[in-house]
This record gives sequence, structure tokens and C-alpha cells, in this order.
Amino acid sequence: MARIGVTTTVPVEIILAAGHVPVDLNNIFITHPEANRMIDMAEDAGYPRNLCGWIKGLYGVVVGQKDIDTVIAVTQGDCSNTHALMETFTLAGIDTIPFAYPYDRDYDLLKLQMEKLMSSLGTDWEQVMTVKRRLDGLRGKIAELDRMTWQDNVVSGAENHLYQVCCSDFNGDATLFETQLDAFMAEAAKRNEFTEDLRIGYIGVPPIFTDLYDYMESMGARVVFNEVQRQFAMPFGIEDLVEQYRHYTYPYGVFDRIEDIQAEIERRNLDGIIHYVQSFCFRQIEDMIFRQKLDVPVLTVEGDRPGKLDARTRLRLDSFLEMLR
Amino acid sequence: MFCGLDLGSRSVKLVLLDETGVKESRVFATVDFYRQYGRRTEEGLVVDFAAIGAGGVEKVVATGYGRNTLDLAGVEVIAELKAHTKGAVWQTGLSDFTLLDLGGQDSKVIKVKKGRMVDFATNDKCAASTGRYLENMAAVLGVSLEELSSHSENPVELSATCAIFGESELIGRIIEGHSVPTLSAGVNYTIFKRIKPMLNSLHSEVLVFTGGVALGQGVRKLLAAELNSEVVVPPQPQLNGAIGCAAYAMEKRG
Repeated sequence: MARIGVTTTVPVEIILAAGHVPVDLNNIFITHPEANRMIDMAEDAGYPRNLCGWIKGLYGVVVGQKDIDTVIAVTQGDCSNTHALMETFTLAGIDTIPFAYPYDRDYDLLKLQMEKLMSSLGTDWEQVMTVKRRLDGLRGKIAELDRMTWQDNVVSGAENHLYQVCCSDFNGDATLFETQLDAFMAEAAKRNEFTEDLRIGYIGVPPIFTDLYDYMESMGARVVFNEVQRQFAMPFGIEDLVEQYRHYTYPYGVFDRIEDIQAEIERRNLDGIIHYVQSFCFRQIEDMIFRQKLDVPVLTVEGDRPGKLDARTRLRLDSFLEMLR
Repeated sequence: MFCGLDLGSRSVKLVLLDETGVKESRVFATVDFYRQYGRRTEEGLVVDFAAIGAGGVEKVVATGYGRNTLDLAGVEVIAELKAHTKGAVWQTGLSDFTLLDLGGQDSKVIKVKKGRMVDFATNDKCAASTGRYLENMAAVLGVSLEELSSHSENPVELSATCAIFGESELIGRIIEGHSVPTLSAGVNYTIFKRIKPMLNSLHSEVLVFTGGVALGQGVRKLLAAELNSEVVVPPQPQLNGAIGCAAYAMEKRG
């Protein structure tokens, strides 16, 4: 049983079917008490200052902690920097397996990538589909938790974010994760409805800020839609595993993401959107597309290193929420 | 009488206002303001409003960075962009316009429709189109801020990707022998270039220009020449946020 690091969401069913432990390196990085030290470690090794903090954090996690056996690096469809990240892992003597989401969502190419991953890790379709059916139930529960967030209004934006974002690796132990999820949902179902007057959607990668959700709630606004986190959770109920990963919007073009976001703006009755962009990320370019295509107000929030919101970002959030009222 | 207080990054602005207009205004350097009038208590920093001359007023409204860290007893705090919108509406009497505020460290562009903010953009972690940048560049040129900010003709080309690296780029241009007026115009033009994308995306037929930078003629002339908008500078552009707070206080009196 090896610990397999992933740089973003990959077909986790394959890792589990092969009997290994999936570890989302992003989650290790951002919850680490010394997350900034991981970035310093990467910069000390020569990573540029003007490069995404997440990439540097992943480097620091893998090279610094030395308890990851192999890394599956998503070289296409997530972040082009991962390509070079993988090369520096190789330089540091860490085994890597590339995984590429085809930009045009080609079914055969995606299936081929999944089969290559199966053969690298030593499993087959039969085992993978057994795991998939097992995880379908769990993904269904996450979909229910999401519904409890926007419809019943008993789950906070941060809780919704946390449970969904963990679906990239199910915290390395799907059974334990499900037990915790069941307990949380039972407790949340008994709560009174939250009363924040503004309903906000969050789009873009998960925030490197640690207190964004709490701060917004303190200002009387609640996030009732987490775009990419919900995509990680894949609450689609699709039988075909290749189709499930084709349906997952994040690694492909921006326009399918916009279609998904538009539908959720309507369904969840959102007042505005916070678009989080990571400093130095190519996805900042996509911000102008979101601003043009989405028909609710959009605030773009940029983060660089882990930590609390800075004064300027708080000021911009305050003004945005004020504007929506 | 109503008091508006704008706790800015470089200076703190205070205005006293009544129905007839601004009665008094004061500008403090931010550090001096907190040093002289701030008092540390267990709850945080408390500002002595009586000492700054706002003790007898009917209501005090403040805005700015202090919002989350200052304990402003008896003071209502409003969001900064809202204060600036209020100030511009109050000062100009207009209700549909784009507001450009270039302050000490911040650049703000706010689209206003029917007297309300409907969209905005601000600079992010870069102060290369602000008063601080102009002060640095004036120091490099060895001229006053007033002199620097008065020029707009024949600007020397500068890229100014950074408020600090802009200095060495300017020195390179000085060595090439350009005149101070054209170098100054070049500096003013970099300000226009940096804010142009924000202005384009939030365009209106009327542009209200506020903040300390609006006191100079250079950037104002460039905006008028380069944009397809009428440029309006209210009488006290640098006090716009504080005026907005005071106007809000007056409005809230009921």
C-alpha cells in the first residue's frame, strides 16, 4: 500500500482500486501549520518568487516531508506549471506519473489516460468499477450536503467547501470520511436555518486564504455555491466512469464552466459571485471571460501565500457586499 | 454639524459638513493622526474625537482601513467605496458616472448608476498609479509634486510596470537628455495607461475624478484627451471620501 500524492483531482477510483492511499497534496499543504515554510523551501530550491504559491507548496510538501511514494501530476487540464513541477520532482528522485485531461474532452483519449494510470498502478476496469459503485453512494451524500447548504440553509459555506474539497482523496480513507460525513450531516440537519441576507457563489480554485468564508459570514453573507469544490465531489450520478470525468468541468475549457455556474446562479438564487484567482496563475486571464458572461456582479479576489485576508482584500469584500445590498 | 473621517493609507482626512457645505477640513499624516489622537485600550485603539475637533458634532461617520482594527466608539463605519460614491454624488450633483479615485496607495474605479455603486475595480498590490508613485518620481526628477503633476504634453515613453523599478527607468530617460516637462508628462501618462483597462471596462459618458492625484492638471488633461468622456473634478477631490462619510451622516439623521 503506497501513498500516492495527487496534484489535483484525478480518477481517485483507480488509486483506491489498486490498493493505495490517495493524498491530495493541496490539502496537506494548506492545512499544514507551517504552510508558508513549504513555499520558502521551494523558493530556496530556486522556484521563482513570481510563481503560484500552490505549486511551490506542493513541491515543499513532497520534497520536505518525504512520505509520499509516487506523485500523479496533472500535466494538462489543470495547471501548466505542473509540467515543470513534475520535472523538479524527478530531479529530486521522486517517482511521478503524468496524467493529462484532453482539452477537447475526447472520450477515447481520456479513457486511454485512465487505462494507462490503471496499468501504472496495477489494477483493471473490474476493480475500478467496484470502487466506483462504492464511491457513488458517498458522492450522493455529498450532493445532499450541498443541497442542505443552499436549500435548507443549515450548512455553512466553509463546511460545504471542506467536505467537497476533500473528495479529491476522501482524506485517504473513504470509510472513515463517510462516518465523519454521516455524523456531520445528522448534526447539521438539526440546526436552525442560517439567516445571512446575501447568497454568494464562490468560483475558481479553493482559496489560499484561511478565513475567507468566516469573514464573509461575519459580514452577513454566506457562500452557498462552491464551484470547483463541487466539481471535485462529482455529484453527477453518472454510471460510466469516463463520462463522469468528462462531465467534470474544471480541467477543460472555460465555457462549460460558465454554463455550469450560470445554471447554479439561477438554481441557488445567488446575489453575487466571488471569483478567486491565484497570483501568477494563467486562469487570471479567464476572469475577463467570467465578467463578461456572468450576469450577476463579480468580485475578483487575488491571493498569493497562505494566511488570513489582508486589509485591502477585506475592504474590497466589504464594499462588494455593501454594493449587493 | 456632521463629521466625516477618511482613514486613508497615507493621510487621514476630516471634514465638518452642514446643509450649506463643507465648514472645515483637516488633513493629518496617518501615523501622526494615530500617534496624537489614538489611545491604546484593552479593546483596541480608541480615537479621541473631542481632541480632533469632532466632539460636539451630531454624528461621526468614518471609512477606510481602520474598520476592522479600530474601536471607534459612537462612530458608524461605512465601506470605503460607498463613502467615495456618496462623496462624488454629493459634490457633483450627478447620479450616473464613472468615478476614478487616485489616492495615496489605492486606485479605485467605481461605476455609479442612479446614485448607487453598481460595479467597481481596484488596484491590487501595486501602487504604480497613485500619489505615492508620483512623490517618488518627483523626488527622482528633483521637482515638486505640483510641478510634476502639471505636465501632459509630449510624454516620454515609460513602461512603469512597478512603482519602484519605474524610478530606475526614469533615470535612464533623464540620462538620454529629455526635458523635465516631457519626463513629467511621461510619468503622468503611465498613470493613465495603468488605469485605462479599468476605465474601459466600467466606462460612462461622464468621468468624475477624485483623490489627491486629481489636484494636478497633468493626469486630468490626459484623461480628457484620451477618453471619450467628459472629465469632472469636484471642488475638493482629495476630501471626497470624508465628504461622503459626512454626507451619509447627514442623510442618516433622517
